[in-house]
Amino acid sequence: MAERRIVTGNYAAAYGALLSRVEVIAAYPITPQTFIVEHVSEFVNDGKLDAEYMPVESEHSAMSACVAATATGVRSYTATSSQGLALMHEVLYVAAGLHLPIVMPVVNRTIAAPIGIWCEHNDTMAERDSGWLQCFCENNQEVLDMVVQAYKVAENTKVLLPVMVNLDAFILSHTVEPVEFPDQKDVDEFLPRYDPKHAYLRPKDPMVVGSFASPEYIQEFRYQTEESTQNAKEVIRQVNDEFAEKFGRDYGGAVEEYRMDDAEVALITLGTVSATTRDVVDELRDEGKSVGLVKMRWFRPYPTEIIRDIASRVKALGVYDRAMSFGTGGPSYMDTKSALYGHSTIPVLGFLAGLGGRDVMVKDIRLMFERTLEAAKKDRVEKEVTWIGTRGVQP
Amino acid sequence: MYEVRFHGRGGQGAVMAAQALADAAFVEGNYAVAFPWFGAERRGAPVLAFTRVDENKINIKTRVYNPDYIVVLDEKLMDFVNVAEGLSPDGMAILNSPLDPEEVDLGMSVKTATVDATTVALEVLGAPITNSAILGAFASATGLVSIDSVKQGILDIFGPRIGDKLAEKNARAAAAAHDRIKIGKCKAERTYPEAKKWLPTYQEMPLSLATKPTKTDSGLVGPGSSVENKTGSWRTFTPKYDEEACTNCLMCWFYCPDAAIKRLEPPKKVGFDMDYCKGCGICEEVCPADAIEMVR
Repeated sequence: MAERRIVTGNYAAAYGALLSRVEVIAAYPITPQTFIVEHVSEFVNDGKLDAEYMPVESEHSAMSACVAATATGVRSYTATSSQGLALMHEVLYVAAGLHLPIVMPVVNRTIAAPIGIWCEHNDTMAERDSGWLQCFCENNQEVLDMVVQAYKVAENTKVLLPVMVNLDAFILSHTVEPVEFPDQKDVDEFLPRYDPKHAYLRPKDPMVVGSFASPEYIQEFRYQTEESTQNAKEVIRQVNDEFAEKFGRDYGGAVEEYRMDDAEVALITLGTVSATTRDVVDELRDEGKSVGLVKMRWFRPYPTEIIRDIASRVKALGVYDRAMSFGTGGPSYMDTKSALYGHSTIPVLGFLAGLGGRDVMVKDIRLMFERTLEAAKKDRVEKEVTWIGTRGVQP
Repeated sequence: MYEVRFHGRGGQGAVMAAQALADAAFVEGNYAVAFPWFGAERRGAPVLAFTRVDENKINIKTRVYNPDYIVVLDEKLMDFVNVAEGLSPDGMAILNSPLDPEEVDLGMSVKTATVDATTVALEVLGAPITNSAILGAFASATGLVSIDSVKQGILDIFGPRIGDKLAEKNARAAAAAHDRIKIGKCKAERTYPEAKKWLPTYQEMPLSLATKPTKTDSGLVGPGSSVENKTGSWRTFTPKYDEEACTNCLMCWFYCPDAAIKRLEPPKKVGFDMDYCKGCGICEEVCPADAIEMVR
């Protein structure tokens, strides 16, 4: 029987690796991810996980080791955060370019300057064009479940791309909450051993992986990544459904809609703000306001078709971001507008709050809904991007 | 506007020649651009360089596909590279060759100037570096730039790279070649085999280019495919080996970038695989026993 325990998000991320029977772990600690690599090393030390654990000297080396390990045909795992992810940057492109299905929890932490250790999404957002798939989690159960699902998506032969499983610093990483631990037997059935076909370094059967390529090849190479990314949309849905069938938890695929039947406006969220927003939606519904939540779970591939469908059913959309692309708006807001251009004329508003780990409060989310309802009523956008809770800035 | 394509080998200075020609045209009040095109290969591999000259500003940033002039620094290139490909029928070939234009076969009949730039270079520079001499030939064969401007171009471009003294020498090599050209028309007898390249669609291409040894219509690809790249054809200098002097220390075997030096069964020591020796001379450089000498 599946067991229930109170654990942190970091423990859930580590336990996901255990259940996925990863074979190589190469990691370097960084606050607030450190507990992930410590838990995993304990699993290996205690004989619970049969894996090679490589305590490397940097995140750049961690990802390099995972690239090499995966290219020899094993399932590999690492985890990082913020500056560590930034140090990995160039190797992220190697992992994605070589179609190596590495899974990496990233504890979303603000990136310096200024130095801070709290939640912001500007670390992973900077990697959104790297070719990695990215999903965001709302609670610790989802963190555990998504590590397992991420391997299944990543290793699908139509996809073969690495995945970041993003969890908010401290709000999940250091928070304990009840998590159900699936039985190993069930996970083994859901996630069989990684059986690589396209890149498998064996001395007896030589193959070039990561070769030099002249301009005659790179454009086709990029198109392969584009096709795999597009294929991932369908695979994410299939894996979600198969997981729901086996474990009884249905996350809705790339996007979860909450109280969206007959909703006039919706707020698109990423990460833990989604959870608080559920309660705000309930409150507002009780007050007679027709609002709903669109929880963006998989940010890459961007669920363009789903967002277009949602936009066709509401009068206005608000988009919450925990990162800024300076001079424009939040990345999720920009992607939403881009997806809707030529398909929808409803007002789309961008909201920024909670940068650097500042708390995103119920009143902040209420304000986002109020503004979105106003825009729906007036059918126009008066302010494109609203910074909420910034001293000296009128929201 | 006129467009020039230079054919040379890595290390022969085709790129500097293209730049010096652009500088010469610029000195005369024109707008000019020059740029290289090379693969990832090293010294000795065939390279291209291009020069475009116009009275007005040049915007086009593509490579040159239909040059008005081709300039060939290494005559051996013509044996396997179709240097005249795309050359305008009204254009002209300027070739480093001791032959008369009529004796040269470019696979198309076109106005041709030959100059024995190697001999000129050996006389003036003491080294077979032909990029300056060939520019003097270009000036006299085409009349598009004056020899004084070419000399200035060489000083401007070569000076900062190799020093003013050597640049002066190179300018003299250009002037010497200027008066030693032969003009005529080349033959069009040979046909070059069509250059074949492995150009898979994205569906045909192995995912992420992870490639096993594969035979394609255009040859081997994947691990071990460099066996088909016979770098021996790049060779100008050949190692002369003195087995007597050789101590069998294997420094040459260790340093050879093309694995063209083989270890032999004793009492023999090392042997050279001339299919792959590109004549770079690294073995001569590293040999502590002076058992290897590079000869032309």
